[in-house]
Amino acid sequence: MPSIALLAPVLLPLIAAGVITAFGLSGFNLGPIAVGAGAWAAVLALLVLWIPLRSTQELSLGQLGFGTGLQLRLDAVAFAFGLMVLVPAALVLTLQRRNWQEAAIGVLGVAAAMGAIEAGGVVLTALAGGTAATLAIVQLDAEDVRAPRPRWSMLLAAWLALSWAGVILQVRSGTAAYAAVPVSALTAPVFALIALAGLMASGLVPWRSWPAEVWSRPSLRAAGLVVATLYPLGFYLLVRAYEMGDGRYPQVAFHAILASLGVVVALGAAVRAQSATTRRGFFAEVIPGIGGFALMTVALGTPLGLVAGLITLAFAAAMTACLSLLPDRAGPASLVTIAAAVGLPPALGFGARVVGVESTFEAGDFFGFIGVGGTIVWVLWMVAGARATGLPAGRGRPTGETFPRVAMAVAALTLVAGPAIGLIQSAFASPAQADVMPLPAGSVGGGLMSMVTVTTVLPVVALFVPLLIIGVLAYGAAGTRLIRTQPRPPLFNLPWAGAAARLRRAVALASMPEQYRSILDLRALEAAAMGGRPLIWLASLVALAFAVTR
Amino acid sequence: MVEAAFVAWVGAALVVLADGRRGLALGLVLLTAGLAVLAWPAGMAFGAVAIAAGGLVAAGQCLRSGPASWGIMPAGSTPRLIICIASGLLALWVAASVTSGTGAPLRFAVLLVVGLMGARILISHEPGAVLAAIASLALALGVAPGLAATSPGPVAAIVGALIAAGVVFVPAGLARLASIPLADKDGA
Amino acid sequence: MEPELLLAAAAALGLAVVFTPLRVPRASLLTWGLLGLAGMAAIVIAPSLDLVILILLVLAVLQARLTSNREFVTRLRAPVLAIALLALGLAFERMQGPVVLDRFGAVGIVAGLVAAIGLLPYVHEFDPDESVVASPIPWMAFIGPPLAATVLLQANQVIPSDAGDAFGAMLIGLGLLNMIGGSLGSWRTENDASAWRYSFMADWGLAMCGFGLAIADGRSAALLMLFSIVLGRLPLYLWSRQALREKVPTDRPINLVVAAVLAGSAPFAGFPARVLLLRGATQLYWPLALVLAAGMLLWLPSSLRLGRSMGVPRGRQAVGVAIVLALNVLLGVYPQPLLTLAGL
Repeated sequence: MPSIALLAPVLLPLIAAGVITAFGLSGFNLGPIAVGAGAWAAVLALLVLWIPLRSTQELSLGQLGFGTGLQLRLDAVAFAFGLMVLVPAALVLTLQRRNWQEAAIGVLGVAAAMGAIEAGGVVLTALAGGTAATLAIVQLDAEDVRAPRPRWSMLLAAWLALSWAGVILQVRSGTAAYAAVPVSALTAPVFALIALAGLMASGLVPWRSWPAEVWSRPSLRAAGLVVATLYPLGFYLLVRAYEMGDGRYPQVAFHAILASLGVVVALGAAVRAQSATTRRGFFAEVIPGIGGFALMTVALGTPLGLVAGLITLAFAAAMTACLSLLPDRAGPASLVTIAAAVGLPPALGFGARVVGVESTFEAGDFFGFIGVGGTIVWVLWMVAGARATGLPAGRGRPTGETFPRVAMAVAALTLVAGPAIGLIQSAFASPAQADVMPLPAGSVGGGLMSMVTVTTVLPVVALFVPLLIIGVLAYGAAGTRLIRTQPRPPLFNLPWAGAAARLRRAVALASMPEQYRSILDLRALEAAAMGGRPLIWLASLVALAFAVTR
Repeated sequence: MVEAAFVAWVGAALVVLADGRRGLALGLVLLTAGLAVLAWPAGMAFGAVAIAAGGLVAAGQCLRSGPASWGIMPAGSTPRLIICIASGLLALWVAASVTSGTGAPLRFAVLLVVGLMGARILISHEPGAVLAAIASLALALGVAPGLAATSPGPVAAIVGALIAAGVVFVPAGLARLASIPLADKDGA
Repeated sequence: MEPELLLAAAAALGLAVVFTPLRVPRASLLTWGLLGLAGMAAIVIAPSLDLVILILLVLAVLQARLTSNREFVTRLRAPVLAIALLALGLAFERMQGPVVLDRFGAVGIVAGLVAAIGLLPYVHEFDPDESVVASPIPWMAFIGPPLAATVLLQANQVIPSDAGDAFGAMLIGLGLLNMIGGSLGSWRTENDASAWRYSFMADWGLAMCGFGLAIADGRSAALLMLFSIVLGRLPLYLWSRQALREKVPTDRPINLVVAAVLAGSAPFAGFPARVLLLRGATQLYWPLALVLAAGMLLWLPSSLRLGRSMGVPRGRQAVGVAIVLALNVLLGVYPQPLLTLAGL
């Protein structure tokens, strides 16, 4: 396959966007099938490029002009994250009907996200990721300008921080290409910028942020697509940082802090989930909760942790697709989704979390406590999930954008995929981990039937399949008739839950007391500075002249 | 040369202090004479001729527009007088004491005229006086290249002279051009 | 760099004339635009700074005589101050004397340039209801870019190395002042037209920082910023005038895309300019990069405001906006040809 084919996963959605726009301007809406075809074509291209070779492929097309070249790279990490972005996006684009403007912007966002993932260096990732963020904002506001969306300032800050990290690498080491950055160039400040970028890009904070807020929009067409394209990108940066650092972050403290932050993020989401008043409110916290667990394990710095994190992220991608298509009403689809989301055995989420907690204990020292914390948070999620089964549905969604059977199928797939975690690990996660982290002999292994770690062997098929059978039988026997929709009190309420919002309101309403306003009259100051007064000019000139004599 | 610099100062001061057309015209004439004489030995012989011609044209046009009076030092012009004296002293100090090398009179004249004409335009409200100041400024800018170490040629002096001669005619000329309707506020 | 900026200005004029609303008389716009272009061409080809200053005087007088609510004399003040400062600065550089005289000369040239463009602290008086041709905007967005490139190129030939550091430091200092003042002013000022004017100042702040860095990355950043001013902000401002008068903010996707262009988000021209600026600042003095990065976030609230104030472009304007967006995307993703053309 010629290396120019690496452009396909980015170009195909771009071409699709162009075709959609051309037809749209002529008055034809191509419909969701045609729209989704662009994204599915990119999925196909990704599979065709990767599966035959399963080795790193690169393409370099010359300098772009701001210190970086158009360098694309497809390795196992790009393949893994590419699937995480493309598959849910393609599903959502195919099934949900949009007008041509929303469709074009959505597909462009997919192309930009793929550009960020396939980019061979930090600066190009920043350019493409920033583009994806911009398109996400436009997409969300185009759908409903009054509905919650990510703070543009946070997204811009994230990609600007990554740009700065990239140029620092260029200045220090002459390159910002992932494969070429010397380990010594990835200093603590540079990594801090990259980590900050990753956390802000994905909204990985303990308080309610955009990955949760967007799920409360009246329509979830754009929300699902935005989460599918943007949310994995922050984690992508943290994974690529391993490649630049030869398998670890510059200091152990970064591993500890980020992994702890992951637990706190998951905890925050769990606390909000268990106090949700509607099922929609619960589901809004699912992606942040899964992201917290992913961060906990990705940041550990161990091969098993990274593998667990990648599997968790794949699970998050599946849940994104599921939640985007799930209607706001009670029913088996909702129930199965809750079961999958909280990580009931033998779901994929269950397996990922078991392996994740195992990885914290294997990491040793302080990290074991992180695992304990993660387990407690998991239990809280179980409680939240149990409570959520009886909650009222929510505000309701337009029926045209919901597909309960598809949503249930996706959730059920993650439930039954638990026994296949060995396959997912060996085919999907371990190659990506091996690309960025030198593998000590025997750290992670196994095959279809089991996962082998340093301290244990997890016979996934032997354990999970019976659990799956028991679960199916139990569901068949109980069904949904025992579920009563009734408000159940949360397990606990945080006393400071609304404090941040109250503080923000107080700051916004703050004003200068009347008797002091004449001291700082901004209007008068502006008039003086902008009025073209010669005295001001003369004073400025004197100040400049004084300054140069110092 | 020192006399020429002094004449230029007097001319510039008159342009600053006068509000009537006769005063402005006289100031322009004196300024022109001073600058032309200073430009000659600075390697700009042809330029000096251009400066003289441009300045005299400007003075002539100035004499034909504005209040028919001298208007020298009207009421409230004390600050302007102070500016003229202070800037003269400052320019003299810079040209003669702070800086070195030949051409001190030219340095004095350029610094003084540019500074004074700039001040005149900043503090004035009368278009006639402002146009006279612009003409004077153009003449000074025309001879300023004479400060360079190498001979600058006459181009700047010719351009300055043309501007000085043309700017005082601009109101009449642009009144005809301005009859083309300006771009509306809505679009541009 | 100067010929490229001249071409950009010509292209901006073409866009303005072709895609301006029908009720705007194209003839006068074209006439005054071509006069301005002629003046800029003369500035670019002028062999010395003296001639540049003289041409500047001509342009100032011509523009001041246009019909406007502001007095002729008032409108001349700032440009004449610029001319006087440039002339005095150049004179100081040519005189033999102590080193401090060279520095004062650098002050004069920098201050003169800033006054000519109309940036802080030498801001031209602005009437939001005034015709654009007669307003200070052409100084900032049409004549200003080639003028700045020419003056700085010529100034580098006359300013000795002793004063070079002071020259660069002043450019950066005034750049930061305009960056912060412009972006805050654009966000907080009451009048939308004034907000646009402040936004030009903010962009100029980044350009001046780029010029002040005096390395290839800085100059490249400055060139891209000036291009984004001439071929991005200026046409968008012209097409927003109708909506500014109607005072009806709109929140359509196109307004957000325009906001993204104005904010310098990827993939538009402002983004690589910012990347290059951060790279240049990191090479020389990394705390400056920190200040710049933090300041760049201030563009967002004002850009959202300006994007909304544009209204919904229709008909010819919509085509014009699409062309501007396409140009900005091209420059934003692939600026290399432009930089190669400019010798950077």
